[in-house]
Amino acid sequence: MSKVDRTVPPEIITPSAGSFPVPAMHQLTGGVPVYLLGTGTLDLLRVEFVFNAGQRIEEVHLAASSANAMLTEGTVINDAMTINDLIDRTGAAFTHMADKDSACLIAVTLTRKLGEVMALAAEVLFQPSFPATEFRMLMEKRIQSFRTNRQKTSVIAREEFYRAIFGGDNPYGRVTVPEDYTSLTLEDARRFHSLHYRPSNMYITVAGKDPEKALPELEKYFSCSGEEWKKPVFPEIIFKTSSPGRLFLEVSNSVQSAVRVGWRGITRQHPDYQGLQVANVILGGYFGSRLMHNIREDKGFTYGINSMASALRDIGFIAVVTEVANEYREQTVEEIRREITELATVEVGIDELMTVRNHIMGEIARTFDGPFASAEAIRGLIDYGPDPDYYRRFEEKVKTITPGEIKDLVATYYNIDNAIEIIAGAK
Amino acid sequence: MINFEKHILANGLKVLAHYDPSTPMVTTNLLYNVGSRDEDPDATGFAHLFEHLMFEGSDNVPVFDTPVMLAGGENNAFTNSDITNYYITLPAGNLETALWLESDRLKGPDLSDEKLRTQKSVVTEEYRQRYLNQPYGDLFLLLRPLAYKVHPYQWPTIGKDITHIQNADRKSVTDFFRRHYMPSNVILSTAGNVKPEAVFRLAEKWFDDIAPGTPFMRNISREPVQDERREMTVHRMVPSAELLMAFHTGGRTSRDFYILDLLTDILSGCDSGRFPGTLVREKELFSEADIYLSAEIDPGLAIVSGRLKEGVDIRTAEKAVTDELNRVAGEKVTAAELDKARNRYESHQLMSFLSAGNKAFNLAYNELLGDANGINAEKDKYMSVTAEEIMECSARTFTESNCSVLHYLPETK
Repeated sequence: MSKVDRTVPPEIITPSAGSFPVPAMHQLTGGVPVYLLGTGTLDLLRVEFVFNAGQRIEEVHLAASSANAMLTEGTVINDAMTINDLIDRTGAAFTHMADKDSACLIAVTLTRKLGEVMALAAEVLFQPSFPATEFRMLMEKRIQSFRTNRQKTSVIAREEFYRAIFGGDNPYGRVTVPEDYTSLTLEDARRFHSLHYRPSNMYITVAGKDPEKALPELEKYFSCSGEEWKKPVFPEIIFKTSSPGRLFLEVSNSVQSAVRVGWRGITRQHPDYQGLQVANVILGGYFGSRLMHNIREDKGFTYGINSMASALRDIGFIAVVTEVANEYREQTVEEIRREITELATVEVGIDELMTVRNHIMGEIARTFDGPFASAEAIRGLIDYGPDPDYYRRFEEKVKTITPGEIKDLVATYYNIDNAIEIIAGAK
Repeated sequence: MINFEKHILANGLKVLAHYDPSTPMVTTNLLYNVGSRDEDPDATGFAHLFEHLMFEGSDNVPVFDTPVMLAGGENNAFTNSDITNYYITLPAGNLETALWLESDRLKGPDLSDEKLRTQKSVVTEEYRQRYLNQPYGDLFLLLRPLAYKVHPYQWPTIGKDITHIQNADRKSVTDFFRRHYMPSNVILSTAGNVKPEAVFRLAEKWFDDIAPGTPFMRNISREPVQDERREMTVHRMVPSAELLMAFHTGGRTSRDFYILDLLTDILSGCDSGRFPGTLVREKELFSEADIYLSAEIDPGLAIVSGRLKEGVDIRTAEKAVTDELNRVAGEKVTAAELDKARNRYESHQLMSFLSAGNKAFNLAYNELLGDANGINAEKDKYMSVTAEEIMECSARTFTESNCSVLHYLPETK
């Protein structure tokens, strides 16, 4: 047996963020933008259709998500079972969802099935029939899962946190109540669809090997005729963030409490945004973070704790999130405050900063590893920019940020005297 | 087609390497041939607790995560009834860091009282978060002991009773380590931008000095054939009822596994399957209804799980499921259905090859099943399944005496 000296770790090659593939932009007749990203070696393509049809433009609560969910519930050509059967026979995977800022359909398919799959995608996107029975069943299912979710302390805390940060009167912060499901009509969903699911209101991303193969098919089904493609317009939202302090929500019989401590944050355009990401990783953004180390690895209070500095289109938020035994709740909040104070007053050591820098470089490299990951990253760049230079600047910021800057960022954005604390659990 | 090369070290460690130059990264996967089925009935949850301890540092690594992060990597692990699996994905140039870390924790993990105390507490909170503080969180804590009376699959990976974890002491944990953590009980696989020769050379360098240990002889009693229907009813604070039905099936490498895996896809693998069509849309008994295989190595279960619509009687719902199962046992599935399931298998398999992590894991897992090339050969097994086989296997499997049923009902106030 050879003897290796285990006390000497292998030399580490400082990770680089890698190269950032830039998608090729193409426009279909009439103007629909198509972003092509050639990556990967398998004969698969991931095609995503993105519409300016998120919650923020809905006039009736739940209209955006319901219109999106009804896409595969029957078309003017095929009933629900038939259209799903046609999709499933191709072997393609269709997923569709609406979130706060937009709505999408993603189709992943073998390249050789692309023609069939694009025809089916166009059919469900532009010709859904909104059958009454399927709509009723969908609402019944959604209200059932709503009731289940309202038993989860983590969900209750999250929803109340959004209300506190964004204000309860707008689509970002509105908390759903059971009556919302009964008051939404089929007509509301249908109307939302016909207004917003149009070639003039969308863009497309194609990622995988030889993405340009999709262009003739996309031209066939998604070029605009009769109306011009328009740059998306987002109605303004007025945010009303609650005053700082604690909100306790009683969930009887729960053995753990969900804790959220947070603040209003900043958007991706803000000059501090990228530095804030680095500071957040140190506090609670990876397994070796300050919070994980203290509250999980040292005290054993929780299975996990993390913090995030996220941004939607027009507003950001910062949150520390965990679930802990009821009896450790107050001590956990105390420790969260202590860790933040520490980071806001004492400069981070160079070793820790180096660890976090390298970790983030690896994360960026993984963001562009393969067609699925790359396509998601590119959507972020389109939706929140357009900012093709985002990752280049982020890499630069990660490399050059100083301990002093990090301390100041934490002091500015994680102000413990101004925190909103949401706790959902047993008394 | 996933190409790979294999090399076995003198101490028994098996190494598999797949070269993929299209990614800048590499994944190392260490599959330990130990799961909750290898636990003592009075000390359950140990395999999983041990997984936690493996992240607590080792002889030459004070904090496991720091070198991984410095190398730009990410890592995690999971435990199930059969295996404990650890993986690291990092830039290909830093492969050696991963092998140094993995070899050091195989050789000498930190099993001190202090680390043990903390991880017992973390696992207790994991148990609370995932099983107790979730609506429907205890479904499988109830179903497993109903379906298994002898085989250790009767307890979940987290343990059958959290006091087993709370009572774990250093001696029992150290014994567990000696029994199961040795090179001959591990399969190391890599997938990514490193050539097999380089992988083998570095694996030799870091793992060769670890003593082979005494191989663990697994001796698990076979679950006796179930000869009558079992039924259990519980009431919980949930909004709607859930129906679970479990049928004993063959093991992971049996022909029945492939037959039933395709059948479950036909029944509920996609929106156009029979369960969504009949049980959800046509009869409106369920808001969701699924059937899937537990996919364990020893003979496992085909599990039906359905969330009932409000106001539906659970016996009516169960009868409708039984009717669907009798239908596949009594008449052949259509050629179109079988064709669809095959197409779906083909494209989903290809999609899974997009991820280096998936490829590395699947190589190791197939090697554990007997041959790493299973990753390529399994396709033929699926494609050769016939409608006759599905009917014959269904008739044997979906019988009343082979069924364990859980009625999970909302608390009536």
